[in-house]
Amino acid sequence: MSTMTRDDAHQAAESEWAVETHGLTKRFGPNVAVNNVELRVPRGCAFGYLGPNGAGKTTLIRVLLGLTHANSGTMSLLGYDVPKHRDLALARVGAIVDEPRFHTHLTGRQNLELFAAHREPAAKDRIGPALERVGMTQRANDKVSKYSMGMRQRLGVATCLLGDPELLILDEPMNGLDPAGMHDMRDMISALVAEGRTVMLSSHLLDEVERTCDAVAIVDHGSVIRQGSIAELLSGASVVLQVECSDNEKANAVLGTRNLRVQVTTGPSGLDITLPAGAGRDLIAEVARILVDNGIDLYRLQPVQTSLESWFLEVTSRLGESQ
Amino acid sequence: MTNLSETMSVVRVETGPPPNDHRGSWIPSGAMIAKRFMELRRRRGLMIALAVVTIGIPAIFLIVRLLAHAFAPKSYGPAGGYDIFTSLVSGVLYIFGFIVAAALGCTAGSIDLQEGVFRHLVVTGRSRVATYFARIPAGLAIVVAFVAIGYGVVCLVCSVAAPTVLNYDGVNVPAGLSQPGLDAWASSHADKVICDFNFRLGPPGPSPSFASVIQNVPCNNGPSGRQIKIGPPGSQSSATQPTKSEIRAAAVTIARLDYSDYSKQFLSPSTSLMIRTGLWLELEAAIGFIVGLGLGSLTGQRTISVILMIVLEVILTPIFLRAHIPHMINLQRSIVGVATDHLGPSAIPIAGGGGQSDQANLISETRAWAAVVVAAWLVGWTALGAWRMASRDT
Repeated sequence: MSTMTRDDAHQAAESEWAVETHGLTKRFGPNVAVNNVELRVPRGCAFGYLGPNGAGKTTLIRVLLGLTHANSGTMSLLGYDVPKHRDLALARVGAIVDEPRFHTHLTGRQNLELFAAHREPAAKDRIGPALERVGMTQRANDKVSKYSMGMRQRLGVATCLLGDPELLILDEPMNGLDPAGMHDMRDMISALVAEGRTVMLSSHLLDEVERTCDAVAIVDHGSVIRQGSIAELLSGASVVLQVECSDNEKANAVLGTRNLRVQVTTGPSGLDITLPAGAGRDLIAEVARILVDNGIDLYRLQPVQTSLESWFLEVTSRLGESQ
Repeated sequence: MTNLSETMSVVRVETGPPPNDHRGSWIPSGAMIAKRFMELRRRRGLMIALAVVTIGIPAIFLIVRLLAHAFAPKSYGPAGGYDIFTSLVSGVLYIFGFIVAAALGCTAGSIDLQEGVFRHLVVTGRSRVATYFARIPAGLAIVVAFVAIGYGVVCLVCSVAAPTVLNYDGVNVPAGLSQPGLDAWASSHADKVICDFNFRLGPPGPSPSFASVIQNVPCNNGPSGRQIKIGPPGSQSSATQPTKSEIRAAAVTIARLDYSDYSKQFLSPSTSLMIRTGLWLELEAAIGFIVGLGLGSLTGQRTISVILMIVLEVILTPIFLRAHIPHMINLQRSIVGVATDHLGPSAIPIAGGGGQSDQANLISETRAWAAVVVAAWLVGWTALGAWRMASRDT
């Protein structure tokens, strides 16, 4: 339990980071699930914690929330040291770990009442608005045993909202959702972020993270290997030019003679020219000029930005090669 | 790493300082207790089991006896009364009350873990110990209420439908007589007293005149297998036939020998006995719940915990009550069931000790030691359960 006064703690909590860890490590016997993690999640954004299955995403979240103890390292939530000021930190945190689980013999509303009773008295008054926000008002008095997976996910988000959270930590929130449910969840996360709340979500669904999040951290084998805003991370990735022209072989040969540091492959719809990371628009113009000057007719030339998924695979495969 | 907070346009939600709700305190809030009570109360199967065992079984037993007595009063005695009261208390309410209370405790201690809800409670920031403590009053409110209702039914029927005449050793005797009163009654019903009352003569044995009277009374239905055998009717010569005054004197002697036993026989349980027995039953049920809660929290498994509790109550406790193992006698006395048995009203036969004839063979234990044992079990299991809940990775 905290020993400093609440006001002192609140002053101390004026950190720019919603989540901050230094050298955080969690071992299960010989296995290192979280390995010396340095993580900083800025406030007021949607932050994706990305990694393949078994990378240690859920374990990190469990450590942050005090569900299990770290072996070493320090961490803070909303500026409060955890576990020292865990009660203060978690008062403004809402979280779903693994998947939302409820007492199935109770209704959705009764489950929320149970969770609200563990928060401040005002949480009880937030039950109605939270149910309304996640679109569960009509089914709130049904037993949870009758809920679909999507409805349970929504109820889980409603549980998070009971504490009027500054930070929401959602573990695989898209799991089990149909496309419409994923769309709704995406909109809900965007709306929460627009209100100034921080949403940290873990996922292995890269496409969803790219659509939802402003920033990401890539985790593999328990370690954070990259983190930053998506735009910045992808700006360092390669760009592929998709080219349709009159003579693929000649184009390949011509580009091969120049020192452009591009890779050319022939595909079914033409050439894929991979530009080096950080290449600017000038290089694209140079490629077009060379092809035209050599008498090759250009029908289509389209730069394609590497997706987060491609970049993720690129990064993690490089990591795998290095190991 | 890029400083994201500088590169991103950030709006911060203003939620104010954390609420001052003593979230880190070990003491649960009233709302936590109330909602835990609600969560337990809505477990329909468990509540039905509780109702059947604590209320249903005694109620059905008494209803059958009421009906039987109403339709055939000569064949079936009154439904209630002192003997029925003590039998139902020691044979049903005491043991089954403990078991269902333990089942509820094991459920309360483990079900959040098993249903995956525990982690969602933890991430509210509320003290895990407070979460544990909230279950104690919530569960006790249920257990105490069920036991009170079931016991109330037993008390009501046993008081209202009690017999009007005391049946002592097969003889209808007025209840509540003083010793002179019983002497007078024995004098006027000497043949019944001599022929039907059980009695045991202490050393130095019967006086010659008393033995002579007893042996020469012509009982047609004499007490076979007792300390003093009566000869077959008609076998005595008139010379040895005792006089009426001798027979009356012998009857009074037997009545005096039996008075301490007679004085423990009642038509119906007294108010004082009912209150003391009720408190004792509630204590037993509370012990079952609290120990079950701790065990459930410790194992995280409801089924295993319930089985262990049943084994403790139904198998281990009776064994430890009966077996006299010199080097383990204090360990035996440290079993909570043994201790609780010794805290009960003396009028109630010890529940785990089998029939009345076994009562003298049970291990002894002072009430003070029994109280210490019970307190240690309650505190110990509560501490153990709370510690496990506070330290558990989930």
